[in-house]
Amino acid sequence: MATVLHPAPKFASSEGVREALSAALGDSLVEAHEEHGELIFRVRREALEGALRTLRDDHAYQQLMEIAGADYPDRLDSDGGRFEVVYMLLSLTRNHRVMVKVRASEATPVPTATTLWPNAGWLEREVFDMYGVVFDGNTDLRRILTDYGFEGHPFRKDFPLTGYQELRYSQTERRVVYEPVELAQDLRQFDFMSPWEGADYVLPGDEKAAGTPTPPTVDKPRTTETPAQTGAGAKADAKAAKPSPARKSRTRAAGAPKPTESRPARAPRKGKSADTAAATEPAEAKKPTAPRKRTTKPKGDA
Amino acid sequence: MSTGLHLETSPTMGDEVISNYTINFGPQHPAAHGVLRMVMELDGEIIERIDPHVGLLHRGTEKLIEHKTYLQALPYFDRLDYCSPLNMEHSYVLAIEKLLNLEVPLRGQYLRVLFAELSRICNHMLNIGSHVMDVGAMTPNLWVFELREDCLNFFERASGARMHSAWFRPGGVHQDVPLKLLTDIGDWCDTRLPELFGDAMSLVIDNRIFKQRNVDIALVSKDDAIAWGFSGPMIRAAGLPWDLRKSQPYDVYDRMEFDIPVGTNSDCYDRFMVRVKEVYESAKIIKQCLAQMPEGPVCSDDRKIVPPKRAEMKQSMEALIHHFKLYTEGFHVPAGEVYVATESPKGEFGVYLVSDGSNKPYRCKIRPTAFSHLQAMDFMSKGHMLPDATAILGAIDVVFGECDR
Repeated sequence: MATVLHPAPKFASSEGVREALSAALGDSLVEAHEEHGELIFRVRREALEGALRTLRDDHAYQQLMEIAGADYPDRLDSDGGRFEVVYMLLSLTRNHRVMVKVRASEATPVPTATTLWPNAGWLEREVFDMYGVVFDGNTDLRRILTDYGFEGHPFRKDFPLTGYQELRYSQTERRVVYEPVELAQDLRQFDFMSPWEGADYVLPGDEKAAGTPTPPTVDKPRTTETPAQTGAGAKADAKAAKPSPARKSRTRAAGAPKPTESRPARAPRKGKSADTAAATEPAEAKKPTAPRKRTTKPKGDA
Repeated sequence: MSTGLHLETSPTMGDEVISNYTINFGPQHPAAHGVLRMVMELDGEIIERIDPHVGLLHRGTEKLIEHKTYLQALPYFDRLDYCSPLNMEHSYVLAIEKLLNLEVPLRGQYLRVLFAELSRICNHMLNIGSHVMDVGAMTPNLWVFELREDCLNFFERASGARMHSAWFRPGGVHQDVPLKLLTDIGDWCDTRLPELFGDAMSLVIDNRIFKQRNVDIALVSKDDAIAWGFSGPMIRAAGLPWDLRKSQPYDVYDRMEFDIPVGTNSDCYDRFMVRVKEVYESAKIIKQCLAQMPEGPVCSDDRKIVPPKRAEMKQSMEALIHHFKLYTEGFHVPAGEVYVATESPKGEFGVYLVSDGSNKPYRCKIRPTAFSHLQAMDFMSKGHMLPDATAILGAIDVVFGECDR
């Protein structure tokens, strides 16, 4: 690997770990690789529990820190698994981390890890909730993060970001009501892929180019041989020399105002109407209003 | 775990049948630290079983991040654990830097460590204050909130925002800090923090009521702590000196001298005391950062990742183009996947980032600290009294912005 420049957490060296663990995992291992300083082991789904047990008991990966689901709809494996379930293991004694992965589909349950680590329960519930991956042997596989009665698995790539349902408090019904999502404005999704890099959409206008019909083939192309065939000549010249007929003057519709240019100018205002002083300056002779009389005695005085 | 109601005939009550009853703790309860609903099965006042229902604050952050560029996704991390926003950003920027293999200038690393520790203090102030308030004390909470306010003011002076700073950026930090801010933080660590915090803690640490409510509550053995995936103060209280800042150092933590406080009894009191000691250790780290911090740039000068400053844009066409491209399209991250975990004040906060080589994360899984700890709530509180549940919950230090994502 290239020299490490980044300041991300440095754990113990992975030197030789891949070979050692690959040997230990034996035929449950599908593939192992190291990338960006992370050791990743892909194992067969059926052999997952055994593989995790080997890593925990024989290779001191004592803690299960995380189970992450991921959806790769474009990358199906041999039996149609689009989901990936990734187990992050941590060794406290060797100060090392590895990832263990399996592929799964909706129909192929993953063996549970609750038999090895009690905290796998909620982590598996989360993967189930978000992706719909089923864990075989997890006795409490309820939804965890989504709403009570939620339908669907929201983190799948084909689930829209906005979801299908929205809820609000209805003043008339005095309760929270669920309604289909209605967006006042489309969600803004900018695509920054340039057309030269293979954008997967048609640029506005390009559809015309794609649909241009090819010109029909003709047996004998028609050509203009003589000037007479163009229609030019004395006859056309004479026709062009005639003056065009004058346009009829339009009559105004009944009740329409006169054209502005022929309207007489407005008469000037009379002297005082432009003086607005009275509106902005208070009259001096105005009497101050008398203070309002109290009708009831103040209560606090008594 | 029993299912349904557990019926039992009492020898003293004749034909009377006393059954356990189930109550809801939360979702609106001041001691639930947010929107936690716990369905509790009680036998009198003894907790038989707890089923925590989380997810009431679920916002689909991870899904939203998939639809944003790497930089646009950063502010979502402030909103996860809103008590220690900068620590949340820390994991995320480190994950991006790991994928990019991007070098960060030393001053940027020091500033990140400095402010990560400041937010650790800020977080512990909130947790310590609310923990003591959950078990009956009022005054210390008000005092430590003064300190929390100071921290928030420091964040404001550095980034312009009190809580949701978005100040850590891939490649360093967004802006350099004024010198006066650094000297003020140094003075604060020397005078105000130890004085006020020491005063507040002197009311609590040896307080008889506080000890009665916390000592020997929710004992967790070392083996259990490991098996349940505990981290942070929860695993250290169990006696394991495990701290990612020490064992898997990131940024300049490997240059820092600090101790890891551990508990001996693994009860709520130990968890509380570990946090109290950590505040002093964080102050030590802050002082070292201030002493060692070199001059220089605070952010990487890789113009394909880090946008140029505005002044530069006024002069250079190249800078203007970079600025435009980085704020519209964003930078592209090489394909791959990493899991980066840092020591947040609450424990191991991890980010599993999958990139497909585009300008948006393909998948960003956030590992909340609270998930493992809250899951253990059931076995930790079994057999304890109902009011102990608040002490246990306070000692877990749970924040639902992070737990529910």
